[in-house]
Amino acid sequence: MAINMNEHLHTYQAMFLLDNGEVREQGFNAAREWVKSTLEKHGATVQVLRLWAERPLAYPIQGRNRATYVHGWFTATQGTISAAKREMYLLGPVFRLLVLREDEIPAEELAFGIEEVRDADVEIPEDVAEVDSFFAEQPVDADEAEGTAADGEAKAGESSKATADAAAPAETAPAADATTTTEASAPAATPKD
Amino acid sequence: MMNEPTPPVLTNIPSQFDYKDTVELQRYLNSQGRLYSAKRTGLKTRRQRELKRAVKYARFLALLPYTAR
Repeated sequence: MAINMNEHLHTYQAMFLLDNGEVREQGFNAAREWVKSTLEKHGATVQVLRLWAERPLAYPIQGRNRATYVHGWFTATQGTISAAKREMYLLGPVFRLLVLREDEIPAEELAFGIEEVRDADVEIPEDVAEVDSFFAEQPVDADEAEGTAADGEAKAGESSKATADAAAPAETAPAADATTTTEASAPAATPKD
Repeated sequence: MMNEPTPPVLTNIPSQFDYKDTVELQRYLNSQGRLYSAKRTGLKTRRQRELKRAVKYARFLALLPYTAR
């Protein structure tokens, strides 16, 4: 007899990126409540939903440079996830989300629950593009250059690969939203083990 | 003649890679934001794959850049 995995309850962890403009407008609690109600509307049982951070994005997404990160744990069926995802991408403050299937909720995460946060406590700075500060504090030292050379040799077996690596243009820019979403949705939907 | 294996550069590797722990993940990326090879990290295949997955999740959530100059 075939088992319909769409009706099987699983534990998931999720990270939601909320639009700062909407969070500022309607307040953090209202935005979080929308996420919670959307999940529950599709049959999920939300156990943890908390403010994880308000921070700058590593790269701009649809003109946004900062976002409010909300982290959550819930139990749901696979069908629930896809329906909720579809709705979240179309409506509401969520502009990106990642859902991962897990074995169980860690005790330290469960302790957070749906913690109360006063809207006034959530500070949302102005959305200003920042200079690429990632890896800025990491100087390109001789050791690193050596490592790149070693990696290059391992892959291509050419001693000149290190210089070629250094001269080559950086990787392609982040994919467009739709593509990235599809890519990241695939591993999220597949079972962990 | 076989090349001598390069000793792993990184130490104090956690038991599990968390996509939210960007400070930890940045140790495994070079200045361009590229993941170091398993040869350099010294991780076993499975752990390197876990690391790769964590970095990809972090990149998707804009916690880490896809590329940096």
